Amino acid sequence: MALKELSSLEKCLGLKKPNKYSTQGEKKVPVLQNNQGSALVGLVTIASHLVCEAQRTELLGDSAEQRAVVQQWLEYRVTRLDGCSKDEVKVILKELNQYLEDKVYMAGNCFTLADALMYYGIHHIVMELAVEEKERYLNVTRWFDHIQHYPGVRHHLPPVVVLRNRVYPSSQH
Amino acid sequence: MALLSPELRAETVALCVNSEGRGSFCVNNVKTSDAAAEEEQAQSKKALKKQQKEAEKQAKKAEKQAKMDFAKDRYGVSAMVQSQERLGRTLIRVQDLTPEKANQLVWVRARMHTIRAKGKQCFLVLRQQQFNVQALVAVGDRASKQMVKFAANITKESIVDVEAVVQTVEQKIETCTQHDVELHVERIFVISQADARLPLQLEDGLFLPAGRATVNQDTRLDNRVIDLRTTTSQAIFRLQSGVCQLFRDTLLQKGFVEIQTPKIISAASEGGANVFTVSYFKTSAYLAQSPQLYKQMCICADFDKVFCIGPVFRAEDSNTHRHLTEFVGLDIEMAFNYHYHEVLDSITDTMVEIFKGLRDRFQTEIQTVCKQYHSEPFKFLEPTLRLEYQEGVAMLRAAGVEMGDEEDLSTPNEKLLGRLVKEKYDTDFYVLDKYPLEVRPFYTMPDPHNPKYSNSYDMFMRGEEILSGAQRVHDAQLLTERASHHGIGSHSNSSCYEDFYSFRYGAPPHAGGGIGLERVTMLYLGLHNIRQTSMFPRDPKRLTP
Repeated sequence: MALKELSSLEKCLGLKKPNKYSTQGEKKVPVLQNNQGSALVGLVTIASHLVCEAQRTELLGDSAEQRAVVQQWLEYRVTRLDGCSKDEVKVILKELNQYLEDKVYMAGNCFTLADALMYYGIHHIVMELAVEEKERYLNVTRWFDHIQHYPGVRHHLPPVVVLRNRVYPSSQH
Repeated sequence: MALLSPELRAETVALCVNSEGRGSFCVNNVKTSDAAAEEEQAQSKKALKKQQKEAEKQAKKAEKQAKMDFAKDRYGVSAMVQSQERLGRTLIRVQDLTPEKANQLVWVRARMHTIRAKGKQCFLVLRQQQFNVQALVAVGDRASKQMVKFAANITKESIVDVEAVVQTVEQKIETCTQHDVELHVERIFVISQADARLPLQLEDGLFLPAGRATVNQDTRLDNRVIDLRTTTSQAIFRLQSGVCQLFRDTLLQKGFVEIQTPKIISAASEGGANVFTVSYFKTSAYLAQSPQLYKQMCICADFDKVFCIGPVFRAEDSNTHRHLTEFVGLDIEMAFNYHYHEVLDSITDTMVEIFKGLRDRFQTEIQTVCKQYHSEPFKFLEPTLRLEYQEGVAMLRAAGVEMGDEEDLSTPNEKLLGRLVKEKYDTDFYVLDKYPLEVRPFYTMPDPHNPKYSNSYDMFMRGEEILSGAQRVHDAQLLTERASHHGIGSHSNSSCYEDFYSFRYGAPPHAGGGIGLERVTMLYLGLHNIRQTSMFPRDPKRLTP
């Protein structure tokens, strides 16, 4: 899963040469063997490395504040989103819905690595939501639809259908 | 010398007082010493004074009680109504108590809904079916204190006869339907007393702002008689009666004949899975799952257009919000000339007439129900919206649902499609035509142009199915083929169609469908449980009352 993600990320960043990844441990943490001999372990670490390699450091944030927020969401992705249970999904969606109420992107006013990795991480959850639930977490759906249409982001993942009009009356929420 | 005990001394003293009428005393015991004697005297004096006060009090009370209760014949518990005599008294309905009747003296018979006593006044709310009015019993020249006390102690839900003057009020009484009048009671009699302990409180059965207790549905159903007295229940069942009445009137006007079909039948009509068996003398019989076969037989018997209203028994072990084991089916069957849409149009016409009739003639009832169970008003289009099954599937796929072309609609998909249709066409009622053949009963006529589909249709209200219908196969040979294709007619799976003899002797092309009365009422009002619209519901877990 994480490996597919990393290869998609590579394509998204425009890196020509695909890297070879391996995994370690039970949780299949991705590992990138460096030419210098040291290994990079962890999804966030490798992703950040790829971004630097592609010379697209703006994806990690411009200002110090934005960089911090990007790091926050990258950490959120790995610690809370990956491998969460069914009960936690509702909590996560509620949190995100509240957070995204007045934001277009996860961090700042432009597309960052946080958006990409959160998108990859949350895709399997949003895909399974019923229309009513998508409307309940309206902000998450809006952000999701925006990111999945962002050029170059969605490679290995099927598109999720999002209806343009509200079908359920808001009083039901 | 023993001193007399204090009680005996007091008695002696009292005797002295009574005979002389004054506070002097004589003591019949021997003085032992002066101090002791003085002490005794002091004590006796106190006791004497106490006795005096006591006596005065008793005298006053007796005086009071002796005073005549001037209103004695204006209240009380009436003798049991055994039809002693025919009073020519006119009783006014609570719903007719309006400002036009101001200052009139009227008689009203209603139930005690609530009682609130406050000193010299007692406020009552009298309830009659969907309507209630406030009444006041106050101490004055018409009512005595005892009368007010009597009124305050009448048990709730008792039936009372009240003679009162209708008075207008400046400030609206929000809690009553008759909010601009009040009754000033002159006479009040209890006609039928209710037990002091009620199994459920009627105010709890009604809508209340969040925080107050509500009654469990099971408790309501166990004490259905009392639950049915609430204004909401009264409104729901009046509306249901309206549905039946409009159905009948519309069809009779269209030239339909009402028929009655048998409910004890020899073999299952819709498949053997959900049928009740009854013992029938030396054999067994079944309770009819639908009047299907008999409707068709009537058509073959040249009745042309028939309908029937009667119970339907389905032994489905489903404990859902919309299934009952016994419900009332309103069924239609009609012969047509060239195309089954002639019948479909007739059915949708009838449904629209029912909706219009409810909207125009039952607004009071709809508003009463809305107060407790709020819902959006029911919307429909004229002419009725008709979508083809494939269109419906396309709409669902556009919303992200994955399903096959010939797959039946699951309940969540039906509901989602209902919402999509509502959003796109702004209607709560629509028809889905041309269902896939595989998911319909064996007697459904296949589509002439595409063998995968059939001439069958379903109708939906607020996203839930209310009618399933189709053009029936009227040719005996085709019917036999379809039956064997579905594996019916063999020994293990017998059908009540009995070798299809009805269709051998010239059967006209015909189609029809059936609706459930309770479901239609429930969905029209936007309620969420079918037990609310069935007077004495039957489900796998409930057989009483």
